[in-house]
Amino acid sequence: MIAWYTSNAVVVQATMTTLLLALSIQLPLRMGVFSFAGVGCFGIGGYTAAILYTKFDVGTWPAVVLGTLLAGILCYLLGLVIHRLSGLYLGMATVAFTLIVAVVATNGGSLTGGASGIFGALGGINNLHVFLLLALVIAGLAISEYGRFGRKIDSVREDPELAAALGINVSRHRKLVFLASGLIGGLAGAVTTLLRSTITPAEINFHMVVMALTVIIIGGSSSWLGALIGAVIITWLPTLLSFVAEWESIIYGFIVALAAVFLPSGVLGLAKGLIHRWRSRRRSTPPAPPSSNVEKASDDEPSSPEPEHSLASTQGGTL
Amino acid sequence: MQELLNTLTLGSIYLLFALGMALAWSTIGILNFAHGAIFVFSAFSAHFVSEYVAMPMPMLILISVLVGATLSALTQWLAFEQILKRSTNHRSAELRVLIGGIGVAAIPIAIVDRATASAPFGFANSTYKSEVYEFMGLRMTNTSLIVIIAGVGIAVALTLWLRASRQGLGLRAIGVDSETASLMGVNRTVMAIGTMAIAGGLAGLAGALQVFQLQAMGVATGDQLLIKAFAMIVLGGLGSMAGVILGAFVLAGAETLIFAVDLGTWVDAVSFGLIFIVLLVRPQGIFGRQEVRRT
Amino acid sequence: MSRPQNESSGPRLIFEAADVAVHFGGVKAVDGLTFGLPEGKIIGILGPNGSGKSTLVGAITRHVPLTRGTLKFLGEDYASDHPHLVPHRGIARTFQTVRLLEERTVLENVLLGTDSLAAGGRTARKLAQERAEQAMVRTGCDHLAKVRPDELSYGNRRRVEIARAIAMEPKLLLLDEPTAGMGRAEKEEISALMSSLRAEGLTQLIVEHDVQMMVDTCDSLLAMNFGKLIVEGDPREVVRNPEVQAAYLGKQAMKHA
Repeated sequence: MIAWYTSNAVVVQATMTTLLLALSIQLPLRMGVFSFAGVGCFGIGGYTAAILYTKFDVGTWPAVVLGTLLAGILCYLLGLVIHRLSGLYLGMATVAFTLIVAVVATNGGSLTGGASGIFGALGGINNLHVFLLLALVIAGLAISEYGRFGRKIDSVREDPELAAALGINVSRHRKLVFLASGLIGGLAGAVTTLLRSTITPAEINFHMVVMALTVIIIGGSSSWLGALIGAVIITWLPTLLSFVAEWESIIYGFIVALAAVFLPSGVLGLAKGLIHRWRSRRRSTPPAPPSSNVEKASDDEPSSPEPEHSLASTQGGTL
Repeated sequence: MQELLNTLTLGSIYLLFALGMALAWSTIGILNFAHGAIFVFSAFSAHFVSEYVAMPMPMLILISVLVGATLSALTQWLAFEQILKRSTNHRSAELRVLIGGIGVAAIPIAIVDRATASAPFGFANSTYKSEVYEFMGLRMTNTSLIVIIAGVGIAVALTLWLRASRQGLGLRAIGVDSETASLMGVNRTVMAIGTMAIAGGLAGLAGALQVFQLQAMGVATGDQLLIKAFAMIVLGGLGSMAGVILGAFVLAGAETLIFAVDLGTWVDAVSFGLIFIVLLVRPQGIFGRQEVRRT
Repeated sequence: MSRPQNESSGPRLIFEAADVAVHFGGVKAVDGLTFGLPEGKIIGILGPNGSGKSTLVGAITRHVPLTRGTLKFLGEDYASDHPHLVPHRGIARTFQTVRLLEERTVLENVLLGTDSLAAGGRTARKLAQERAEQAMVRTGCDHLAKVRPDELSYGNRRRVEIARAIAMEPKLLLLDEPTAGMGRAEKEEISALMSSLRAEGLTQLIVEHDVQMMVDTCDSLLAMNFGKLIVEGDPREVVRNPEVQAAYLGKQAMKHA
């Protein structure tokens, strides 16, 4: 077991840092907020931690905490301003935010190291620390998926108008998810940077957004578990299959496209669907209730059929 | 003044690229993230052919346009149409089309990246010769002239066609209300694929012209242009072709300005910043008519 | 109705609307409505499609902004409230098209009614669970607790939605076409449910197309057309009103007079 770990330590590390970043996007997505600001916050957290550590002699953990907090606060402020935008427009605004972070980092002169970034920020972090932090974040996310809170978040995502009619403050939830995703993204950045000792503007770009999305889509966007599955697949597939490593982009492109078409809920969604169907078959048909007319439609008035049409017939240009 | 010419040339290429995206997005509601990849791959295809056979400009452009149109139509048919068929609501379809586009985009880019070993490619083997004209102290190449005429001309033609022609109106009807459109006898699927073909053709045209204009193209250009196209469309307003024209030249102008005052490294911030500011101040853009904010 | 409140003239009005108007651009969906809902009664809103009924419901729940007018609930003006505060005041609603979370079970959907309104803590959660289960028993869907909405008939989906609204323990329940798609027997069950809720003191406002059901169930009717109130009062009288008959499906109204 230990031997396996030692020979694969790097990949395990990559899995954990990728997962942490992906979680910063999975969380808002779960609430129907298409925010990719987590990648930008990765940059803010990473750069802040690196600058504090190398230029201001701040210790490892204070640097991580400060990096995380700054990213969270900036992301919250961003959210205050853009949370009312819908769907795709929100996504674009957050991508723009992320790319602005990269441009600022590139033009930050000696403070940010310009286009080459910052080197030598090797903090006192090891894989175990990352693991514990990851476990903490996952614990928090798991709690938010459970019970009352989980239901409320589902309703905010599926049907915000309904959520409001049930007493849920949709606006406040959306703003807070920016704070949470900013904190997670910032933590991911700070920890990854001090672990690997470098950060460059090249890591804060659209490609990172795509990678995080790939992880979430393949694994399943409904839960942290999906992000975990996705992170494991994305990081380990090239390691296990060398031909995958060579043709990585094309293969992932295919997988993502196939997932978008056939398996939008990812591996996790597929598993849940199978389990649910297996359970339904095992469960006997529900017993008839005391009043016998529940399932029958009466002769007086015909039941109006549920309008069932796929989106292809009603797709239009309105967003 | 020279800056103005540069702006016009740059803006025209931006315009051709963005027109394709805007067309698809505002009529059939498809935001094609593979548009940038198609742009690069089409130009690369023309480059590939030209490596074996010396070809004149029109031929290379034609190849690029055809490849672009085909790729785009295929993407719509094989990916986006399938997603729409399987989606239950608008929101999930939107996200899936987005992601599907991202997935599809990776494929042609990876092919080009391998084939060129990540080095920029050009039309070195073409029979086309670039000439420079001097006119009232301004320097202009024949390529620039072609680019500007193509860009502005096609943009205006497309705008008018959408407003006045029967097919154009049919396409806009789909954008407004799909069911009404089908009542009007518009076959949605055929129009959708056709629209995407036109969009892809425009990307191919833009790609070929870009290579002629700059003599080379790098693999990453596609993604960069994608984000800039957002900025243009968002600024001009979704649903307005005139808006895209405005957006393209405003962006080109702003970028040229940034270079002129020697702030070249901030040039990307222009498009990102534009997206941001517009979405904050006036999310529907200058000429836009669609509701972008949720309550 | 819109009688002035004083101790000797019947139940107090838990809801009052004064000169309520909702304009969308040039369209006057609701055009100056004034009425009140007496506590513990069932009031029906009658009107043809496009008369502004659903817009009115949306205005009452603050999902639709008012162009002018006042809304009072339990004597408090709440016309500037955000929509999510309305349930906390004690107003619950069902929707014209049933809105449930498809990925969750029936029980979880009903529990949603309690999630924002019940306090936290273990005892409160137990109570909330009981509330939800009771609501499901009353609407006749408790045997479907573990089932997902997409496996339910339309009528049962409606029941789940009503259960969710009841689980919110509202003081005013708005039902937007709750029996659409149900057969006669089911409608009678819903009618009986509404009567038993009334017996517990719940005030209900129901928008419906089924005139017979409205006449049988409601204590009074408000008839609307073109965003205006035509007449209000005893259901049978309202239904016999010639202007109402002219506005609404004439044949149907006369059949139930």
